[in-house]
Amino acid sequence: MLKVIAACGNGMGSSQMIKMKISKVFKKLGVDVKVDHNSVGAAQNMASEYDAVFVSQNFVKQFANAAAHGTVIVGLKNLLSEQEIEEKIKEAGLDKK
Amino acid sequence: MLKELIDKGYYSIHDGFDNWEDAVRASVQPLIDAGAVKPAYADSIVNSVKKFGPYIVIAPDIAIPHAEDKPNVNETTLCFMKSNTPVVFDPEDHEKDARLFFVLASNDEEKHLKNLEGLMEFLSDEEFVAKLGEAKTLEEIKALL
Repeated sequence: MLKVIAACGNGMGSSQMIKMKISKVFKKLGVDVKVDHNSVGAAQNMASEYDAVFVSQNFVKQFANAAAHGTVIVGLKNLLSEQEIEEKIKEAGLDKK
Repeated sequence: MLKELIDKGYYSIHDGFDNWEDAVRASVQPLIDAGAVKPAYADSIVNSVKKFGPYIVIAPDIAIPHAEDKPNVNETTLCFMKSNTPVVFDPEDHEKDARLFFVLASNDEEKHLKNLEGLMEFLSDEEFVAKLGEAKTLEEIKALL
């Protein structure tokens, strides 16, 4: 099963929204996935335990370390766009894992 | 969702703002006036945006000012603000401009999650959101609901 985490500044607003949206898109794509959410600070420390991190585009560079260790970092411009989320999941090959 | 907020007086409509900080403070003001949050909650949000950048602009034209600050929140709720002129968060990135503001306040996880789900559903209709962005008065907004 794929393990992903959604992160945002406080861990209570946009990360929850990302979690809801990506859960919906993964389900649509038929991917078995566990989605957690947390603040960027906490997620940075846990990122290596996950296959992928979903964040607002603003936060991508803060996960450079995790990216170097093989975690897929997905930056989203429009958190409400299921189309963007689906495209980026496919681009990262997360629908094939 | 928005209808309930309007009925409760948890909304405001403005022509525009000189800067994003004034806009964020104005978006929280109805909650402060109602005692739903303490004035310090607005400071927490402003500090959060200064620290993390304009990530509260979650989609074109839509901002969700919020902070993790339970001690300054008395009621788990949303609050709506419309700025008729786009508020600029990043002068170099106008994709981060916003006219629609939905303040999140939470001291109750379960209720907060329900509020977020309601908000997501409300915002999922892009055509409706575009119309809301163009609506300039309470009457025009009400006509859309």
